[in-house]
Amino acid sequence: MAETTTLSPTRPRKPRLRIRTVVIAIGIVAFTIYAARQSGWDWGSFVTVWTNPLWGRFWPIDWEWVSDRNNVLDPLIETFQIAVVATVIGCLLALPIGFLMSNLTTPNRPTFVVVRSVMNVIRAIPDLLLAVILVAAVSIGAFGGAIALTVFSTAVLVKLFSETIDGADPRPLEAALAAGGRHTAAVRAGVLPEVFPAYVAYSAYVFELNVRASVVIGLVGGGGIGRVIEAQRQFFRYDRIFGVLIVIFIIVMIIEQISDAIRRRVL
Amino acid sequence: MTSTIDTAPVDPGAPRTPERPRPPVAKWWRLAAGLGVLFAFLWGVSGLDITAEQLGRAPGNIWTIIELSVPPDFRAVLERGALGKVFESVYIAWTGTVIAAVLSLPLAFLASNNVVPAWVRIPIRQFFIIVRAFPELILATIFLAVVGLGPWAGALAIGFSSVGTLGKWSSESIEEVAGGPVEAIQASGGGWLSGVRWGLLPQVFPTIVAHWLFRFEINVRASAIFGLIGAGGIGGEISSQVQFRNWQNVSAVLIMVVVMVLVIDAVSGAVRRRILAGSDRGSVDASQEALGDLGGFLTRRRERAAGDGPSTS
Repeated sequence: MAETTTLSPTRPRKPRLRIRTVVIAIGIVAFTIYAARQSGWDWGSFVTVWTNPLWGRFWPIDWEWVSDRNNVLDPLIETFQIAVVATVIGCLLALPIGFLMSNLTTPNRPTFVVVRSVMNVIRAIPDLLLAVILVAAVSIGAFGGAIALTVFSTAVLVKLFSETIDGADPRPLEAALAAGGRHTAAVRAGVLPEVFPAYVAYSAYVFELNVRASVVIGLVGGGGIGRVIEAQRQFFRYDRIFGVLIVIFIIVMIIEQISDAIRRRVL
Repeated sequence: MTSTIDTAPVDPGAPRTPERPRPPVAKWWRLAAGLGVLFAFLWGVSGLDITAEQLGRAPGNIWTIIELSVPPDFRAVLERGALGKVFESVYIAWTGTVIAAVLSLPLAFLASNNVVPAWVRIPIRQFFIIVRAFPELILATIFLAVVGLGPWAGALAIGFSSVGTLGKWSSESIEEVAGGPVEAIQASGGGWLSGVRWGLLPQVFPTIVAHWLFRFEINVRASAIFGLIGAGGIGGEISSQVQFRNWQNVSAVLIMVVVMVLVIDAVSGAVRRRILAGSDRGSVDASQEALGDLGGFLTRRRERAAGDGPSTS
């Protein structure tokens, strides 16, 4: 063996630089420069952002105001309630729609195509734009915000859930159909048990998304803690906003932990 | 139904049908979970101050607005320069993503357990977690106050808030990488930096770029919202048209936003898949995939293992 092995392996060749690569790289750099100019790129602001006297207004935190129940705790509970209602209704709606939207369990092709397209379009609408429109349409406050989040969470959950169904084992469903089950019953007995844990896990994830979204939904008139932030921002009371942000931070962290625990438990 | 055909002798003690399998989750536990969700829901509804009248009118209101918004009046919004605003949203998202990519790349390496010791890693991890906890719209309101109204505040907010997710995803990818190349470099006398540059970076860079593009897709949606609070982009157009109750214009702008998001998702998704798949497939494939993904259903064919029998769809 030793005769055939060279002592030092040959140095690997450097991949040749292709014209296409250069063109793509130049294109990306040019687009980046153009985009940066269009969005008002300002080298100086990387420094002035940190030296701005405004940061002084964030301190000291107005704990007395933050700890008053009416100011923070009650709106925060409202935020939470928006998230809970949106999650529960959204997830209930997503269960049947998810089945309509998967290749495996869809009753027929037209339903599949229509439902899938509608859901793709709804998911493409940023959640807060939907909130602005629905708040104007229905009413200012928690109700409009809750409807917007419901629609959005349905669209998100349906995508995740239908992909899980796509990956499910088709054989139990075939067995149930072969044994003479109706479509609904066959899906209920043949597919649902396999995908239900994923459904619960995704629902927990959607709840997490909804908590985050419901925090900001008040900024556009949707009720909850966002309304408080918006009001204090107009008075430049950043010391209060900072306090609110810390409270939000703690709550978001707690919910993330709980939702993670649920996901680990069921999956 | 009794069978008339005599089959092979069966052990008389054996049950005829297999036993019904036990449900994996006990009944009382399912009941408790269901009741818990129900109570949470009722508690939630009780706090939203929904009157029966409001609830009854809501579907009608929504329907009225849908009626008022057809046909969408594209001419009016194009005259107001909505197309430029749409592009501005894309520019904000792109600039923000570039800022975040540049900031997060070194930080991601400094947050990976196969690169640095724990005392470096843990504070940076904490920083990622803290950044991720703040919604980017709230960051944008703060940046607005610091740098003034306009798209730059939006770009900074996106750039700052994306560092958290990009750093987390990238460092998770770095930690999954095979350690062999780094060992080889250290064995031949390379230092820490050469190990990172030649041992790790070539392995993870495609994945990291794919993360950047994915975050860009998310950021496009975020930057479409920023206009609502004055941070540039198409969102401002939506909020002013809603304030005028110009529903035909609102629907036109909304359609433009949807098209923008779908196109960006399709293109960026195709590029991502191409980057992750490597160069063995031509770019024609990628663009076809992109077109297919616009509908989402053209490309999605389940690959069933051979011998599974006929499909049921």
